[in-house]
Amino acid sequence: MSRPSPRLVLTLLLAGGILVLVLAPLGGSQRVSLAAALRGEPAAAAILWQLRLPRVLLSLLAGAGLAVSGLGFQTLFRNPLAEPYTLGVASGAALGAVLALRFEATAHLGLPLVAAASFAGALGSTALVVGLALRREGAATSTLLLAGVAVSLSCSAIILFVQYLADSTQTFRMVRWMMGGLAVVGYGEVLWALPWVLGGGIVLLALRWDLNLLLTGEELAAGRGLDLASLRLKVLLAISLMIGALVAVAGPIGFIGLMVPHILRRWVGHDHLYLVPACLLGGGAFLTLCDLAARTLMAPAELPVGVLTALLGGPFFLWLLVLRRSPAGE
Amino acid sequence: MKAEDEAASTRAEVAVAAMAPNTEAVLAARGLEWRAGGRSVLGPLDLDVMRGECLAVVGPNGAGKTTLLRLLTGLLPPAAGEVFYGGRPLASFSRRDLARRIAYVPQIRPAHVPLNVDEVVLLGRYPYLSRFHLAPRAADFAAIEQALDLVGIAELRRRPVDELSGGERQAVFIAAAVAQETELLVLDEPTLHLDPRHQRDLAALLMRLKEEAGRTVVLATHDLNLASLLGDRLLALAAGRVLAVGPPAAILEPGLLGRLFAAGFEIVRGGARPVTVLRLGGGAP
Repeated sequence: MSRPSPRLVLTLLLAGGILVLVLAPLGGSQRVSLAAALRGEPAAAAILWQLRLPRVLLSLLAGAGLAVSGLGFQTLFRNPLAEPYTLGVASGAALGAVLALRFEATAHLGLPLVAAASFAGALGSTALVVGLALRREGAATSTLLLAGVAVSLSCSAIILFVQYLADSTQTFRMVRWMMGGLAVVGYGEVLWALPWVLGGGIVLLALRWDLNLLLTGEELAAGRGLDLASLRLKVLLAISLMIGALVAVAGPIGFIGLMVPHILRRWVGHDHLYLVPACLLGGGAFLTLCDLAARTLMAPAELPVGVLTALLGGPFFLWLLVLRRSPAGE
Repeated sequence: MKAEDEAASTRAEVAVAAMAPNTEAVLAARGLEWRAGGRSVLGPLDLDVMRGECLAVVGPNGAGKTTLLRLLTGLLPPAAGEVFYGGRPLASFSRRDLARRIAYVPQIRPAHVPLNVDEVVLLGRYPYLSRFHLAPRAADFAAIEQALDLVGIAELRRRPVDELSGGERQAVFIAAAVAQETELLVLDEPTLHLDPRHQRDLAALLMRLKEEAGRTVVLATHDLNLASLLGDRLLALAAGRVLAVGPPAAILEPGLLGRLFAAGFEIVRGGARPVTVLRLGGGAP
């Protein structure tokens, strides 16, 4: 079984990412000509620079963060089905954000409050799920996922209750936000998400040896001097902050963290030195393409991108669950 | 007594003591004990592992062999007593420093290791790797090459570990432990699930590690003949207690083995080391 060189794959992913960054802003419900925007025609320029480009940049960041979060979870728990969505981290963040939306006095989305609430939700649900799973021996596949499902369901129930209590305008905003979307105006959200995603990526890359070592088993890793508790804390903190930041601006977008690492492992292998940057690049490009499809498939109407990724990801999850043997369950 | 004094002494004094020429014991356990559910399951026991020797721990299932190895490698903090490496308590080492001195090859490993052989062996260098270097350094690559050659799996280097046979896979993990460049090598049941040919190859490999590479080896095994072949001393462990310690000829005798395993054995002497044959049929002696 021969794989292409990881460096080649990384180069191709980088080229693909740049291609997506240049071309994706041009597509959408309304065609925009790059030449017209560069000439300074006000309508074209406004659409391209204030709507399309920030949206594409945000989707690149969100996709990168979601994919690399999934990768971190999967390696940490030796579980191919672990990702922010299935482990309930995204739901926790969403619950925090929805509560913030409900009790917010002003009508516009106050990013700091929503963000703080979604950070708290992400950290809380991570702590809960991991705490529950680790009470049993070594975070077994089933325990972890069941804890994730339980936390997810509880959060969803509370979210429904909050929506029931809210007035109809608030409810509509919450429902729409829960579907996940990347529609933004200007660069505020992009600049907000950038440090968290970049920071998370750097943390995981710095921990590449530790994550690789974990692939050979916890006992062996401990014998080599790996401090598992400290590694868990670092990875979970980095991921929770990343997810909290992304959910605050884009809502819960599922399954990117499941699909992207799985596909990229087949191309670049399991060395996290290559996997982390590959997931950052590949996840960003993939979510941007999904968003492009969401913007154009039903134009002029727009499909929420979270709905599209869930439509793709649900069957993928089932396929992994049923057809692929799980490493932890062998 | 010396070890206990050192436990009380300061770190600087310990460092001086560790350099003293009379420290023949690489590893020393004093009053070592492990408890589970409120009762003692191992020890208290005293034990010395001498520099350059091979100590083979034998005993029935549940005797506490793995627990003993985990205590000796510092993976398990003792309930009472202490383990000393070169006269210094294990607890005073950082995990990384300890991993540069003691390499452990556990019996239980994940069935699925999605890495290539060279990637696994490189991970033996973990205690030397820095997060700030993008690639391993020349010393790391040299250690990997040496380990691959010594273990004799250089030609497997690009193969995925999951595609290897059980014997080859065991060799890969031992190569990783060799690349760790530690003075002490601790192996838990290295011949488990191996067919006779691979058992022989593994015994030859461990012999080379001891003779050529000068490693001190501690291993736990059910294979009495492997223990006899490799062990300079055997430690008979029964229900967490040391039944006897001594050279193979002293331990491998029917009476002691009968008490240890509650089964009958015949001992074939004449060669350099005694050969043990389990008497099948019939009850306990």
